[in-house]
Amino acid sequence: MSDHTHDPVDVVIAGSGIAGGTMAAELAEAGFSVLVLEAGPQRKLSEMISSQIWSRRLRWAGPEVIETGDLVGAANFAMGWGTGGAGLHWYANWYRLHPDDFRVRTLHGKSVDWPISYEDLRPWYDHAQTYFGVSGDAKADQWSPQSQPYPMPPLPISRQSQALKKGFDAVGLSLGPNSLAINSQSYDGRAGCILDGWCDAGCPIGALANPLVLQWPRAFKAGAMLRHNAYVSKITTDPSGKRATGVEYLDADGARHLQPASIVIPACHTIWNARLLLLSATDHHPDGLGNGSGLLGRHFTSHALTTIHGLFPDETEPFRGVTGANTLCLEGYDDKTPAKGAFGSRAWLAAQATKPNDLLGLALARPELYGAALDDYMRRAVRHYGNMTVLCEETSIPENRIELDSRKDRFGLPTAKVTNNLPKDNAARSDLAKAEGLKIFKAAGVSEPWAGQRAPMHMIGGTIMGDDPATSVTNSYGQTHNVENLFLAGASLFPTPGAVNPTATLVALVFRTAKYISDNRAALLR
Amino acid sequence: MNRRRFIANILRIAALFGVAPRVVAGQSQEGSRPMSLTEPEAETLSKWCDLLAPGAARAGVARYIDQNASGGFGDSMLLLRYLDSGAMLPFYRGGIAGIEQESQHRFSMGFARLDPQQSAEIVAAAAGSKTEAWTTPDPNFFYFISRSDAVDMVYGTEAGFARLDIPYLAHIAPPKPW
Ligand SMILES: Cc1cc2nc3c(=O)[nH]c(=O)nc-3n(C[C@H](O)[C@H](O)[C@H](O)COP(=O)(O)OP(=O)(O)OC[C@H]3O[C@@H](n4cnc5c(N)ncnc54)[C@H](O)[C@@H]3O)c2cc1C
Ligand code: SF4
Repeated sequence: MSDHTHDPVDVVIAGSGIAGGTMAAELAEAGFSVLVLEAGPQRKLSEMISSQIWSRRLRWAGPEVIETGDLVGAANFAMGWGTGGAGLHWYANWYRLHPDDFRVRTLHGKSVDWPISYEDLRPWYDHAQTYFGVSGDAKADQWSPQSQPYPMPPLPISRQSQALKKGFDAVGLSLGPNSLAINSQSYDGRAGCILDGWCDAGCPIGALANPLVLQWPRAFKAGAMLRHNAYVSKITTDPSGKRATGVEYLDADGARHLQPASIVIPACHTIWNARLLLLSATDHHPDGLGNGSGLLGRHFTSHALTTIHGLFPDETEPFRGVTGANTLCLEGYDDKTPAKGAFGSRAWLAAQATKPNDLLGLALARPELYGAALDDYMRRAVRHYGNMTVLCEETSIPENRIELDSRKDRFGLPTAKVTNNLPKDNAARSDLAKAEGLKIFKAAGVSEPWAGQRAPMHMIGGTIMGDDPATSVTNSYGQTHNVENLFLAGASLFPTPGAVNPTATLVALVFRTAKYISDNRAALLR
Repeated sequence: MNRRRFIANILRIAALFGVAPRVVAGQSQEGSRPMSLTEPEAETLSKWCDLLAPGAARAGVARYIDQNASGGFGDSMLLLRYLDSGAMLPFYRGGIAGIEQESQHRFSMGFARLDPQQSAEIVAAAAGSKTEAWTTPDPNFFYFISRSDAVDMVYGTEAGFARLDIPYLAHIAPPKPW
């Protein structure tokens, strides 16, 4: 029994991040009545305090995830909590998947194919880059699939990038301006970036496209409603099991609410999208909603990330720039078999602005130093430090998965457990990339570069899309195969991760799905 | 999860230490709530963190940790929240108890009374996963987390940036260090 039953809406969305916020704005603008239920608190731009200490208050404060396998430690860092979700502290590196990323099984006999091609998504990528405002240099960015020029020129090349470029030049790789959803000049009423390096703490001037300045003003203007401290715990279905009837959620006091809706869209981020469907099992769907294939929760992937660090002879001003990356190297991305026994694409994101503290700060780049040795290092690093990050592709395998654990979280719900083991040939690919990175740093004049430990970045999959209901959870629109008015939004839909950050792709998919929902309005609202 | 993996195998033992002043709650006194840690616990934590990042004790690291580990998880400013959503105060209490245990085991004395060389030995043991008596929480992980807290206090505030002689460049300046 629910304690409170609310008036029905056309669409209920769980999660107010980039996926949920964009979907809310699109559907509200298309005339649907839209309600978003957000587990976390209300956030304001004034909370984006420029401090790596204060910024932690914007981070995930939801239930714990149990992580096992080779690649662990991503969950709490990767998710947002409150209005805008992780969109309040993302870095806005903006990339498209490459055409081959959609056909990995066909081309290489590994992973799975997407049910759509790059060409299907291309117009939505184009639309998304205008909507978000992307700066970059499409000409220099010849290794990335492009069709339209970026709306803004790139950010200036930083001193850190200049130092790094010598290394790339020396090994014969091209390092060019990065593409970012960050304004290099004022755009769409939002200010241009002033390169102060505080993106990780949030960009209150809105130079970096975040949901508080982009999606939510549009969504509210179009009449969308947003309810905070509303933790969606279950999707309800009708007696036939073929249609969702709404969601149940818990408020801050633990009281249960029922929110009826004609269309239900979880946009809670990868792990929670899969868990919500698993939690919503019924007699008709004993293994969870959308789980006719038995693959719900499976094909979880991430990017295997390695960071390369060094102290350059020249001053680099590492505290300036953007947290994401100032420059980019995608040359060689399309070679997924660079050596025998190594598999996957890789992308170099270079010259990230780095402040002294926090997980990606100067001090934790050298965790073994303490006392006076740490102080000596810090004083040199604030002037001479440079870094770059390589993202490597993880093959999509069913063994890597999100499942329910017998332990309960603070809402009394089974905890999410994630298993993520990096296949051997992906690990070999990642090792090659690490060696390449160290070589680049040496060639740039760094005498003793070092690499961080391999770590996961981005959480992807678990509710993958496909044409065949026997091998996927949803169709290409994120519509579950066996519950017609239940759609998913977010990177949980990706069958494969490529080797680039996921947000441009997840947003392109949101736009495509929103159009599909609009086009099928009558059938879906019945 | 195997927390040791954060820094396992890459630790080098640094030999140099600053002298630890006996400053417990710190002079910043940012928090106003009464301390949850006992005075001896706070003293141990303070001395420990000051060995990791000299200046942390004076900057108020014990109070910083205490206040942020005792309140609501969502309000916490500690780096620990990225890596573990469990209760924070017991984690720190456990680490402090581990330091004391190791100290008693090696020198038959409380950590507060150890001389700089003895204290350094305990830090090095935790950093290098070579503790003999202290097992939980994982000493190496505790080192990693408490070092980050100490770094926050010494290098991560406006005063810390000034100490490093780099501009702060705030959009919205922090109303107080933490
Ligand atoms: C530090 C950092 C840097 C990043 N940088 C980049 C980058 O440069 N480029 C890039 O492409 N991507 C980047 N990302 C990833 C990017 O932020 C995500 O892809 C994107 O924000 C995901 O949006 P989302 O809406 O799917 O999820 P989220 O932003 O996580 O939003 C999900 C929302 O759902 C809410 N929620 C969860 N469970 C429930 C529930 N049961 N009921 C109701 N609400 C719920 C959460 O509170 C949250 O607000 C970065 C991420 C981080 C953390
Ligand atoms: S560096 Fe630019 S994008 Fe980042 S917070 Fe500052 S103004 Fe915003």
